[in-house]
Amino acid sequence: MSNLIDYINFSSPRWPVFSRVLAATFGGYALAIASSLLISQLLVHVTGKYQAIHIGLILTFLVYVCAAMWVFSVKTAKKAWIGLLKSIFFCLALTWLLAKITGVAN
Amino acid sequence: MKDSFRQSMKWFHTWVGLIVGWVLFFMFLTGTLGYFYQEITRWMEPERPFIEHNISNERLLDIAQAYLINNAQGVDEWDIMLPSVRDQNLRVGWRHPAEAGKKRGKYKIKVLDANTGDEIERRATGGGRLLYRMHYRFHYLPTEISYWIVGFCSMLMLLAVITGVVIHKKIFTDFFTFRAKKGLLGWLDIHNVLSVIALPFHFMITYSGLLFFLFTYMVLSTNLQTNEDELDAMLDEIYPRTAHLEKANQAAKMLDISILYQQAKTTWQADELSYVEMFAANDVNAHVLFVRHETDITYNPEDEVMVNAVTGELILQKPKEYTVTSMIHNGFFSLHEGHFAGSIARWIYFFTGLIGSAMIASGLILWTTKRKPKQLKNPNGPDFGYRLVEQLNIGTIVGLPIAIAMYFYANRLLPVDMANRVNWEANVMFISWAMLLIYPIFRPANKAWYEQLTLAALVYFALPLVNVLTTNKHLGNSLLQQDWNLAGFDLTLLVVGGCFAFAAYKFRALQVNIRPSKQAIKKVEKQCVQAMNESLLPLQQVNKDQC
Repeated sequence: MSNLIDYINFSSPRWPVFSRVLAATFGGYALAIASSLLISQLLVHVTGKYQAIHIGLILTFLVYVCAAMWVFSVKTAKKAWIGLLKSIFFCLALTWLLAKITGVAN
Repeated sequence: MKDSFRQSMKWFHTWVGLIVGWVLFFMFLTGTLGYFYQEITRWMEPERPFIEHNISNERLLDIAQAYLINNAQGVDEWDIMLPSVRDQNLRVGWRHPAEAGKKRGKYKIKVLDANTGDEIERRATGGGRLLYRMHYRFHYLPTEISYWIVGFCSMLMLLAVITGVVIHKKIFTDFFTFRAKKGLLGWLDIHNVLSVIALPFHFMITYSGLLFFLFTYMVLSTNLQTNEDELDAMLDEIYPRTAHLEKANQAAKMLDISILYQQAKTTWQADELSYVEMFAANDVNAHVLFVRHETDITYNPEDEVMVNAVTGELILQKPKEYTVTSMIHNGFFSLHEGHFAGSIARWIYFFTGLIGSAMIASGLILWTTKRKPKQLKNPNGPDFGYRLVEQLNIGTIVGLPIAIAMYFYANRLLPVDMANRVNWEANVMFISWAMLLIYPIFRPANKAWYEQLTLAALVYFALPLVNVLTTNKHLGNSLLQQDWNLAGFDLTLLVVGGCFAFAAYKFRALQVNIRPSKQAIKKVEKQCVQAMNESLLPLQQVNKDQC
């Protein structure tokens, strides 16, 4: 019974871990997708569109792994979430900016 | 998470590896068997004749074509697979017309007797193909769902591999460190050695595994960047296909395949045909593709020769064009599947696959070994979580190999004319596995390990015997006929049985060694409750430091 209360108790150390699991799984996935957009935007003039997209896709798994490792290495779960959101925003903003400058929309 | 990055990663590695460790073990083991799926299928179809020596490719092509003319009338496209080192029978295959509501008809393969040209009636079996397909398409689950589960597990595997490298301080020196100790340090060293020894393989197999379903997992990215036509064009660029002449709907008489084959023979300057693909049969545009054994990790256009089946002229093909990225992409696939591998490379693949499975198994065992001293001191007995992991370990690490053996037993012992036989072979495997997962719940862990290891040894030793009793394709005959694929299968079973017997013996021996000192341990524990005993302190120190 005390175990159960421990589970539900939000101040229990389980909740930050659960929060990090969510951050790593879904935040990491979102960052991986965002990074693929940025990479393909960066490479589109070098390699052509399809290869640029392809390289972005191939690298998503590495970005995902790094993101997940980072989420579990920082001090607090809150910091992990903020960091992830910042990175996702950075990728998307830079992608948008590059597309604006070069005139190639994805 | 923890004080330092490495400490956090240690924690992360432990849990990432544990959480789906048993699924990963299943994926690694069944995937490893995939390197021999043709050989396994051959064993599971004992009605096929023994290896035929000294029949020329031309004669085999004539036999196959004669069969196809009589039995595959009205079929435009068919294939002839010649006997190879891996599959020693002559086979032909074609796609049957699509059933109502289905996009494509079923592709069926017939095995022919190379002497008489008759079809060989084989028992219905899933063979090695069904077994290895389970490692990415779980048997009872819908395809799409199992791809996502596989992707999730593979992602955790990749994380485990990379965090494993990060937490490893002395990756090179540890490679040469093996402390043949019992208990925690021994298991840690085993886990380290198994991980480091095949690290490039572990990384390659996991990463390429993810790449197989790249466009499923990262569909969000492609949807944001391409429309449907662009995606098709992109996929065509990544997976280039050979362009083919369409059917002209004008009947024409074809030359014999064996005559057309001379073109390929002169082009290659060698007689090393692997398979033949026929397109637009009995049409003016009829053409044949001759393919020899894959020898390159990447695509080699010289492995294929296309010939016009009516005139017998060589058709010069434009080689498939690969971009750099699609070369990398397909290179990863090629490394994963190992089609290019010859016999020796195939065995190396097989053993590295087993090392991967053993790495996962040792990691899972390490988890319990590390927690054992503390759990045994628990006044109410070990925690639910600890017991669950221990039982899953026993039921999977030893249980799954037994279940796979049961798949082979089912192949030999289920009635040949049984309805739904293919499914029942797999059902037998999963029912046995389920039973072996349940069994450890009712037994003390030590006894369950020993009993299942013994059972595994018995099951693997008895399988060649059952083979003797149920078929004439047993070890005695296959050795006499020098059919090394068949003999190799039975011999491998015996070796696996031997390994399990050794493991059971070793396990027992370790238990017996401990037994005299069991009372001593109890004494120590008693003292430990009163005051921390000296002899346990270093052990706890080790726990903290090493894991």
